[in-house]
Amino acid sequence: MKSKECVAMILAGGQGSRLGILTKDIAKPAVPFGGKYKIIDFPLSNCAHSGITAVGVLTQYQPLELNTYIGNGQPWDLDRNDGGVYVLPPYVSAEKGEWYKGTANAIYQNIGFISGFDPKYVVILSGDHIYKMDYSKMIKAHKAAEAAATIAVIEVPWDEASRFGIMNTDEDMNIVEFEEKPKKPKSNLASMGVYVFSWDILKKYLIADENDPNSDNDFGKNIIPAMLRDQNKMLAYRFDGYWKDVGTIQSLWEANMNLLSENPGYEINDPGWKIFSRNPAKPPHYIAPKSKVKNCYITEGCEIFGDVENSVIFQGVTIEEGAVVRDSVIFPDAYIGKNAVVNKAMIGTDAYISENSEIGSADDDSVKDFYNTKICSDDITLIGPNVSVAEGIKVASCSMVTRNIKKPSVEKAAGKKSVKGTATA
Amino acid sequence: MVNNNTLGLIFSENSEASLGELMKFRSLAAVPVGGRYRIIDFMLSNMVNSGIANVGITAGFKNRSLTDHVGSGRAWDLARKETGLFILPPPETIDLNGRIMGGIDYLSGAMSYLNRSRQEYVMLSDCNTICNIDLEKVMDFHFEKDADITVVYTEEPNLGPRELEKHILFGVADDGSVSDIQIYPKKQKSDAAYMHMFFIKKSLLIELIEDCLAHDEHVISKNILLANLGKLRIFAYKFEGYKKKIDTIDAFFEFNLELLREDVRRELFGEDKKSIYTKVKDSVPTKYGREAEVKNSFIADGCEIYGEVENCIVFRGVKIGKGAKVKNSVIMQKSQIMDNCTVDNVIFDKEVILCSGKSLVGESTYPLVIGKRKVV
Repeated sequence: MKSKECVAMILAGGQGSRLGILTKDIAKPAVPFGGKYKIIDFPLSNCAHSGITAVGVLTQYQPLELNTYIGNGQPWDLDRNDGGVYVLPPYVSAEKGEWYKGTANAIYQNIGFISGFDPKYVVILSGDHIYKMDYSKMIKAHKAAEAAATIAVIEVPWDEASRFGIMNTDEDMNIVEFEEKPKKPKSNLASMGVYVFSWDILKKYLIADENDPNSDNDFGKNIIPAMLRDQNKMLAYRFDGYWKDVGTIQSLWEANMNLLSENPGYEINDPGWKIFSRNPAKPPHYIAPKSKVKNCYITEGCEIFGDVENSVIFQGVTIEEGAVVRDSVIFPDAYIGKNAVVNKAMIGTDAYISENSEIGSADDDSVKDFYNTKICSDDITLIGPNVSVAEGIKVASCSMVTRNIKKPSVEKAAGKKSVKGTATA
Repeated sequence: MVNNNTLGLIFSENSEASLGELMKFRSLAAVPVGGRYRIIDFMLSNMVNSGIANVGITAGFKNRSLTDHVGSGRAWDLARKETGLFILPPPETIDLNGRIMGGIDYLSGAMSYLNRSRQEYVMLSDCNTICNIDLEKVMDFHFEKDADITVVYTEEPNLGPRELEKHILFGVADDGSVSDIQIYPKKQKSDAAYMHMFFIKKSLLIELIEDCLAHDEHVISKNILLANLGKLRIFAYKFEGYKKKIDTIDAFFEFNLELLREDVRRELFGEDKKSIYTKVKDSVPTKYGREAEVKNSFIADGCEIYGEVENCIVFRGVKIGKGAKVKNSVIMQKSQIMDNCTVDNVIFDKEVILCSGKSLVGESTYPLVIGKRKVV
């Protein structure tokens, strides 16, 4: 294999359990975002635009969707003669086989993959964030400083700093201390989970870490502190663009809604830095004579007969006549029936909301069985993928609906889904 | 399943189609239609969806935008090792002596491609009949009838005199064989209108082309079909779905606006139909502003809409400003209609800019066409 100056490794094995039903069958990086993307499109597109052409994607939790989505990497221009994108699940070897025990162990288990490219630098990324970043600038800073490691940091509000991994630096941005979720933060520079390492140095630490039976095999908890202890040159690289962790239902909803604001903080429609994704072959979307569409994002393959306001609508969604969708995110191929109301909700892929039902209801007679304030907050209602809600059902706000809700009467509304193809007005 | 024994040939030009300003810089096949497609996407997708993995496109001299659009053929899954997509320009030695290029002239540029390909059968088609057709059924019909040539037709009752002049009608016998061929008749004696698609054994096609070239004959319908009526087993397969031939600006405009009909969208893009592929642009979703008023429109990705839009086909990356009123129009890729403009019955080619407050009004029977990259 021809050598590459830099290899990127994307940690995409996390479950993202705070996303509840959304990540029951898919890993967090495969969660849809922004009308036509998946979260992993952001780091993959960043790699493509930063000139990094060898990328490993480390999968573990529910990898099927990610594997098929990434495929040969062609949508991100990562189908390369040398390098390209590789999906790297854990594997069994002659001596042993084990799951990825932690972020550092995941990289450790792929030392062979990385070394095959004989790189000078390795970029470690997480597949959980929405941001546009030119990694090549960060690598340049890393090279200029002759650092062992460079960690991207972003200023966060002081009152939120205790939720992040905080980097304490000297005036030259050298990291002097790293604190994971400090109670009393000394700095508001949070780690973005974007690291550049000089490969020969990182490799030594990975091997040492693996030999330490007490280690959690984690970059934040083990590798970074160990490198700091040994007085390696560790640089903080300040990033001042938009960066959003979409680890909770509320933050995912907010990040989608943010796209609709006057100034989202980043330009998603940027011809020079497109976010690439696997595009489905769908026709343009249709807006019917009686529908009202205000302040929203709508993608190809949708058929809109109802009213949509302040919402992000993914591909292949049908919204029937008289339906009202407000402040919501509707994932691919979901169906919203006639006169249904969807209020501040996220509707999962292929979900079926029958006519006259109401999602996110404040009424007393609404179904409260799925009330879940652990996952849902800020009155956001979550309907799981493939879940169907029967005719006339009201689902209380702050619910996470994980299974079909049938009609309470004798007449069951089961099998509703099968009529989908013919149910449009 | 991949059909390893059939290749496709699509004609990117058609001397009988004239789309004026829209074809000033591009071939017929590359004319944008339907919000995100080019004319050729439909036939190319039909071929691929029917398992054909080797497609040649005969090209004219204006082929830059066509080659740019189809590229390596990847969007149609035609970036293949041995087969795939081939652009076939006319032979350099062609001497037209002032006459227009006929189908056989284009085919003469495909001879070495035909000879070198391993497939035994050829599906030929014009590019400008928009439909979603299962060509496997045509092939099955061909073998079932043990035909030499199978032509595809559609029922077209009640053609007006001007329409008749552009049609080729078949007399079709009960067994499906073609008993008569009338090219541009004055009177309608049959409803079976030719869709400019036929299926044939490659060796026979090559023989017929060589024979025509030797006799200085250039027209497929006359010199290949009509000349062999009664000599070869010519059968006709009836296609019953939606189709629209785009050969004039009017037909182009009609087809685009017909996409506002649910039945037409279902015939071309329905869930039970195979996908129509096109070049991927990675556009963002379309953004609608707070004051947007959109009714009965077909809108592609990457647009920003702040004004009023009614009965329109809007292509990728179009911007429509605040207070603009746009009706009954076709607006191609990356055109911009600025604030407070009024537009009715207009076809905007790509990248047109209509400056703030301007008004452009055509007639439904005579839409105004604004050429590519014009600033109004």
